[in-house]
Amino acid sequence: MMSWRQIYLVLKREYITRVKSKGFLAATFLVPLGIILLYGVFIAIFLWDSEVTYEIGVKDETSQIVASLQETSPQRYLDMTELEVDSLRTLVQTGELTGYVVITEENLTENRPLELIYSGGGGLALLSSIRTDMREVFRQEQLKRAEVTEEVQQIFETRIGVESRRLTEDGKETEDDSAFLSILGVAMGIIIFGAIFGYGGYIMRGVIEEKTNRIIEVITSSVKPIELLTGKMMGVGALAITQIGIWLLTLSLIAMAAAPIATLFMSGESTAEQMAAMEAAEEELPFIFSIPSIETSVIVYFVIFFILGYLLYSSLFAAIGSAADSETDTQQLILPVMVPIFIAYGILLHAMNTPDSMLSVIGSLVPFFAPIVMISRIAMTEVPFWEIGLSIFLMIITFAGTMWLSAKIYKVGILSYGSSAGYKDLFKWIKQG
Amino acid sequence: MNKKTTIEVQNLSKTFGQTKAVQNVSFKVEKGRIFGLLGPNGAGKTTTIRMINYIITIDEGTILINDQPVSPKTQKLIGYMPEERGLYKKMKVGEQLMYLAQLKGLNAKDAETNIRYWLNRFKAADWHLKSVGELSKGMSQKIQFIATIVHDPDIYIFDEPFSGLDPINSELLKEIIIELRDKGKTILFSTHRMEQVEQMCDDICLFNNGKVVLTGNLRKIKKDFGKNTILLEYDGDGSFIDDLDDVRINNRSTNFAEIRLLNDQDPQAILKTAIEHAKIHKFELVEPSLNEIFISTVGEDNIKTEEAA
Repeated sequence: MMSWRQIYLVLKREYITRVKSKGFLAATFLVPLGIILLYGVFIAIFLWDSEVTYEIGVKDETSQIVASLQETSPQRYLDMTELEVDSLRTLVQTGELTGYVVITEENLTENRPLELIYSGGGGLALLSSIRTDMREVFRQEQLKRAEVTEEVQQIFETRIGVESRRLTEDGKETEDDSAFLSILGVAMGIIIFGAIFGYGGYIMRGVIEEKTNRIIEVITSSVKPIELLTGKMMGVGALAITQIGIWLLTLSLIAMAAAPIATLFMSGESTAEQMAAMEAAEEELPFIFSIPSIETSVIVYFVIFFILGYLLYSSLFAAIGSAADSETDTQQLILPVMVPIFIAYGILLHAMNTPDSMLSVIGSLVPFFAPIVMISRIAMTEVPFWEIGLSIFLMIITFAGTMWLSAKIYKVGILSYGSSAGYKDLFKWIKQG
Repeated sequence: MNKKTTIEVQNLSKTFGQTKAVQNVSFKVEKGRIFGLLGPNGAGKTTTIRMINYIITIDEGTILINDQPVSPKTQKLIGYMPEERGLYKKMKVGEQLMYLAQLKGLNAKDAETNIRYWLNRFKAADWHLKSVGELSKGMSQKIQFIATIVHDPDIYIFDEPFSGLDPINSELLKEIIIELRDKGKTILFSTHRMEQVEQMCDDICLFNNGKVVLTGNLRKIKKDFGKNTILLEYDGDGSFIDDLDDVRINNRSTNFAEIRLLNDQDPQAILKTAIEHAKIHKFELVEPSLNEIFISTVGEDNIKTEEAA
């Protein structure tokens, strides 16, 4: 028999004292600010990335290649046919050139590999882009020499595109936003992952605080341990929902403001090149500029899995807190709780690429992994309803079990001072309860 | 006099693993009296008190509060100040007292009135908005008293109330306890320092090793032991005291000794010896101290003390 009045009083205290704390206010409002900042940086990177140029000196002995290279990228390729190899080397050594390449007739006719001599700057991205440029230019020159018709030349220019649309169960074709959905799924999984740690940690520290403050005995002379535990979990849960709610609201505001923000970046001195970069970015990551609408069901499931995941783990964190005398004491006890969270994180990363693989499906059904894995699968792919239902059912059953165990541990743990308990003691307490 | 029993403990037992913390303990606390639960650390006092407060469960036996078995309902009749005292550091004094009073079943309005009354009474009216972390130790001890009594219960239980209190608060608490008793409230407190009890308690219960060794009215118990203790104040060489036979020396300093007579030892003989060896300022035959009663009841070798309560 629990008294809801007592639970409500505990809940109210937990919620109000935390929601007013500076830490909560800071986290709640700094995180969205951080996201906005990150978002800005994201766009900025796409816009200004191309400004860094690497200069490659080209000594073209065929004198037919360098012109086309310069057409492809005038800043990168410099015609240095007049210079001797020795002076080219010096230029690279002094850092005035990133590298140089000597093109001879043999390269063209005998397919002898080109040799790029460079300082090592620019990384793999530079190498592969030079490779692409060279192949393109060499192919064109070879085609020209072979005197093929323009028709054939155009055939070589063709790049066939692949557009994708999703066919839903009720026969409608929808825009395919797989890339966005993958990121959404992973983001949701990571939010729940973070929330389990964050709010679970809140609960654990709250329990320890009541022990170290020595107020716990005063409280238990008015409230049953199970009422205290329930009130605490509900209070911090309400806090979690408030915080996530504020974040989601901010995010949707950002989403609405995304296009104006992007144009703001462009409106400055937008050169043709920046425009091109912008377009390229939009092609690669369209959701930066227009966030596709998220299905309501995904949001509903997110809330369900968020709450269930929170409840499941926070009951365990509370039990651990009650067994410890200080936060440092928790380290040995906490490991068995951390391991499943990290396994779930691992499966989440796996599910990102293969949301329907055996491991992903099983991971999304196991209660301790489900809150992190299932929600990302729901976002990414079509998950049969029975899987979702089973997953939720199993989590509720498991939560009932962990809550029952934790309540027993908690009841004994909160009044045990002095020695920090090990798992052996916890089993004893469970039997005692 | 019509005696009404407020707390009745019957054949109470509690075991933790291998340790029998409380064994077959029975005592009665009567309404409107101050009852002392005495015994060394680890004797089972705190365990008994926790069971009376319905914080831990009873293994065997019963506890009745106003004739009802202990329950969340009886919890609300009690104001409890545990030995391990504490408050939420980050909460404001007013909010904290409000929370604790409401948990004890008070509505917000009554709680507010009581909180105001006690804060004024302790000259702490302006602490309302201070957080407990800002208060000095002495100040937060006062808040702890208020937290215990704010819901105006009929029964007050203090576990080792004087340990860790500064002298001012110690006096204040004594005052409050006497005042509450005079209002007809029932007070039970535990202590391992017997001398505190002598001044305040009406009735006592002596604990040793999880069992009750003696219980009843303090005056009567003392009277029953008879005047068989000598308080001796002297000047000079006190080594003769060590050579006395059939006595037990309980309290001794350079010029004072409390001598308990055993086996009908004659006090006159001791006086004679004393005069021969030192200059005597005071020689008084009195009832034994509670500590002496405890020792002679339990037997010196049977007193078991544990550091952890």
